[in-house]
Amino acid sequence: MRRLMMVLALAGLCAAAASARPKDQATVYKSAEAKHFSTAEGVELSPAFADYFYAELRNELTKSKLVSEVIGEGEAVDDSDAAKSLVISGTITEYKKGSVVKSALIGFGAGFKSLKMDADVIRRSDKQNLCTIQVHVKVDPRWNEKVMAKGAAHEMVKEMKKALSEGEKSAAPTAAKPS
Amino acid sequence: MAPPSLLNRSLRFAAAASLIFPLSSTATDEPKPKPENTITLELGEPVPVQKFEHPPKFWISDVTDRSGNPQPLLVLKERGGIFLDRQPAAIVKDSLESSLKAANLLAPDLASADLVIRLYVFHFGLASGSALDFFGKVEFSGMVKNPKTGESLEVKAIGTSIANGAVRKKNIQKNVQENIEAALRDATRNFVRGTQLKDAVAQLHGADLPATTAAPAAAPN
Repeated sequence: MRRLMMVLALAGLCAAAASARPKDQATVYKSAEAKHFSTAEGVELSPAFADYFYAELRNELTKSKLVSEVIGEGEAVDDSDAAKSLVISGTITEYKKGSVVKSALIGFGAGFKSLKMDADVIRRSDKQNLCTIQVHVKVDPRWNEKVMAKGAAHEMVKEMKKALSEGEKSAAPTAAKPS
Repeated sequence: MAPPSLLNRSLRFAAAASLIFPLSSTATDEPKPKPENTITLELGEPVPVQKFEHPPKFWISDVTDRSGNPQPLLVLKERGGIFLDRQPAAIVKDSLESSLKAANLLAPDLASADLVIRLYVFHFGLASGSALDFFGKVEFSGMVKNPKTGESLEVKAIGTSIANGAVRKKNIQKNVQENIEAALRDATRNFVRGTQLKDAVAQLHGADLPATTAAPAAAPN
């Protein structure tokens, strides 16, 4: 019985270590460049929104520790670091202003402001698309649009982290195979 | 002498009140710069400049504030106001000069400069954020000109920073200062490490060099 308990404890420890590994893992990418997102036709957002979203995205990327350094738009990167450098660009595809009346009368998310955006994460050296992310954020219509930008940036970095770690996992066995 | 009528007296009072009241109301609304609400922005360590194939010597000739802000020193109006100790144009110029000087790319004077930069500041300070935090933004552009050929190219730079909001005045001032310093550093970095400056130098200064070296080879006869 005691032996079984010890084996179980060891297995638990191993599982915990395995789950903790990705968090403690050193950042794979050296730098990431976030670009200002473009807006699709018909999207009526203030020009300040793009600037604020750009700043929030950079802020979230720094916080996430996905990359060692977050560089500004249009900054030069050494050729030696280009393979470990990401470029994030995207488009705001849809924005709905929402309705305060609908939100107040119906509730349950009706009349909420809605924002949809697509982003591409590209490796700088070979321009390979590492992942495509689609984010849909809904917020109360009484809230400032900048709050929506904050939520969208947070969601985008979360999705990006997930997609890149999944991509690494799937790429790891193929990379380990001898050619 | 007959005493003034009630109408006369009220008219006089209204005139006096209209003169005094707006002054007192504006005095309470408009914050005044004091040593305790004035912040000094510093770049800190100079920003490392990118490496150029043929490093030129830059000279910053002039800085123009194009922000259209009537009070460029006032950063935050609420809570008694937060002021800058210098004009934004002077702060941007100093930060760029210190970074170029550290990289040994600053000419000692205008005459010895290979490329002359004329700066235009479009935004300096806080921009409208989510009201939960402070959104610092510094935006400027530089017209990089080769004084020999007269050719010039525009190089844009933008720096942003988001800092946490605060409740206490002391913390607000500290956060705002750190936030604008970070945005200034980011914008300076964006300028001196940007591909736009690299291209401008290659086109304006790089084109100048082969022309002088290639000239004798091009005319052997």
